[in-house]
Amino acid sequence: MLELHEIETGYGTGQVLFGVSLTVPPGACVSLMGRNGMGKTTTVRAIMGQLPLSAGWISRFGDNHGQRPSFEIARAGIGLVPEGRQIFSNLTVRENLKTFYRLPAGQTGESWNLDRVLALFPRLAERLEHAGSHLSGGEQQMLAIGRALMTNPKLLILDEATEGLAPIIRHQIWECLNLLKQDGQSILIIDKNVDAIAKLADHHYILDKGKVVWQGDSISLMRTPDLKSRYLGV
Amino acid sequence: MSGIRNLIGLVYEGVKDNRLLWLLIIGFALFPIITHFADLPFWNDVAMRIMLLGMAAMGLNLVLGYGGMVSFGHAAFIGIGAYCAGISQFYGITNGWVHLGFSIITCGFAGLVIGYLALRTSGIYFIMITLAFAQMLFFLFVSLEAFGGDDGMSIDRAEFGFIDLYDPLRLYFLIWIALVVVGMGLMFIVRSRFGVTLRAIKSNASRVEAMGLSPLRFKIVGYVISAVVCGIAGTLFASWQEYVSPDIMHWTRSGELMIIIILGGLGTLAGPLLGAIVFLLLEECLPLLLGAAAPAYAENWMILFGPFLIMVVMFGRGGLIGLLSQLQVRRNARSDHRGP
Repeated sequence: MLELHEIETGYGTGQVLFGVSLTVPPGACVSLMGRNGMGKTTTVRAIMGQLPLSAGWISRFGDNHGQRPSFEIARAGIGLVPEGRQIFSNLTVRENLKTFYRLPAGQTGESWNLDRVLALFPRLAERLEHAGSHLSGGEQQMLAIGRALMTNPKLLILDEATEGLAPIIRHQIWECLNLLKQDGQSILIIDKNVDAIAKLADHHYILDKGKVVWQGDSISLMRTPDLKSRYLGV
Repeated sequence: MSGIRNLIGLVYEGVKDNRLLWLLIIGFALFPIITHFADLPFWNDVAMRIMLLGMAAMGLNLVLGYGGMVSFGHAAFIGIGAYCAGISQFYGITNGWVHLGFSIITCGFAGLVIGYLALRTSGIYFIMITLAFAQMLFFLFVSLEAFGGDDGMSIDRAEFGFIDLYDPLRLYFLIWIALVVVGMGLMFIVRSRFGVTLRAIKSNASRVEAMGLSPLRFKIVGYVISAVVCGIAGTLFASWQEYVSPDIMHWTRSGELMIIIILGGLGTLAGPLLGAIVFLLLEECLPLLLGAAAPAYAENWMILFGPFLIMVVMFGRGGLIGLLSQLQVRRNARSDHRGP
């Protein structure tokens, strides 16, 4: 589905990633963890084609494309829920969702549309005509996830989707992600909540100073003793 | 059949949501009756000028207000539209429909080229590049001696088949119909998915790109549409004025269009038309008022106009439309307070 091979990239002359390799198999939920400033969001930006690679390659859905415009990469089937939500504050909830609706060719299974997204997030149905700027943080996060689902992505990427949310909202988001996973949605998730992520994801990568320093499944994540204190700061 | 019914439904919804715009447009249709009975034909001329500049401002508003692209060169498209009429007349093509077609194609093409080059930049660079293109075109027409150069050239009013433009009322209603068509077209565009995407781009272009749409393509299409609308206004302007000169595309006119939009209300359909009405009426009336109070200063009416603009911008966030909706909110709040 998605494969990163020894990618190196950064901003200007400041290199951030020093050879990151990562694989998301179809239908899997993979996590990317690490402290702040270790290159998680940079990895996402590289996947989205927003940063040029200085080394390595990224294969998305089997086609080994090099540099492509970012919007084509998204169109190929990547739905991004960006860090800090970044919904369109001057559009209504309905406009935020409907504008980016898309049905990729060869879609299998039930596709996402407005009704289905609203069934997943009933809160949004109540606020359909409200401007994005009038939503609470949790509602904005639901909207950002709903907006990504409306593009019917083959791969959903969530960058800090539960950051800064009240515990009850956070819980709702995790439940909804579980539903998506059971649906067979491939997911790449970045989060700091190790316990929740260990339950959700099948495979984990830990980034430290732009390198993958550890990878493994949930059981070994929980069993390796000094992992959390050394790389995750918890 | 159901297609037509859908269309009527869409028009109805759109008109209902933009009552002010259509009230203003209906007002323009009724205005000649007033001037007829009051015997003030001069004001028909003012109204035509308002409609033409309002139309151009509505076109610019698509990129400026909805798309967040501060184009400081849209007078160039008015000029190109006017010269399309002028040059056609010069070569003996008197049919106004041909002028309009010529203008739409030329402005569309010019908008495509300028947009394609300028829209790679943003912010202050975009402002400067659009201004630079407009100045290039301005001096191009200044240097074209065959078409009057600096002095411009007098032209006849175009022939629109059965519409004799030397009958002032027919010219008035030709301009009015163009305003209706432009208003309706822009209303559909703004309410379409395209229009919503344009607003999304104004909010955050890189986010739109991450959602799988190319902001540049949307911006270019928006830029071309706004150029064409300004071109239509320019072509009709030439017939109204019976005269074309580079003055019509002077950079101050680009500024005037921006002032009209900001005065009326950025990113609203009715804003630019309302702005044009207030702007041009003040331009007509302030000298008279000032002349009555202090005859020696009548030509310095700008001294009143400037502070007025500043006040609207400072106190009416969102221009006159913003002020109106603030009043509306306050009135609703008061009636809510009293309660039933």
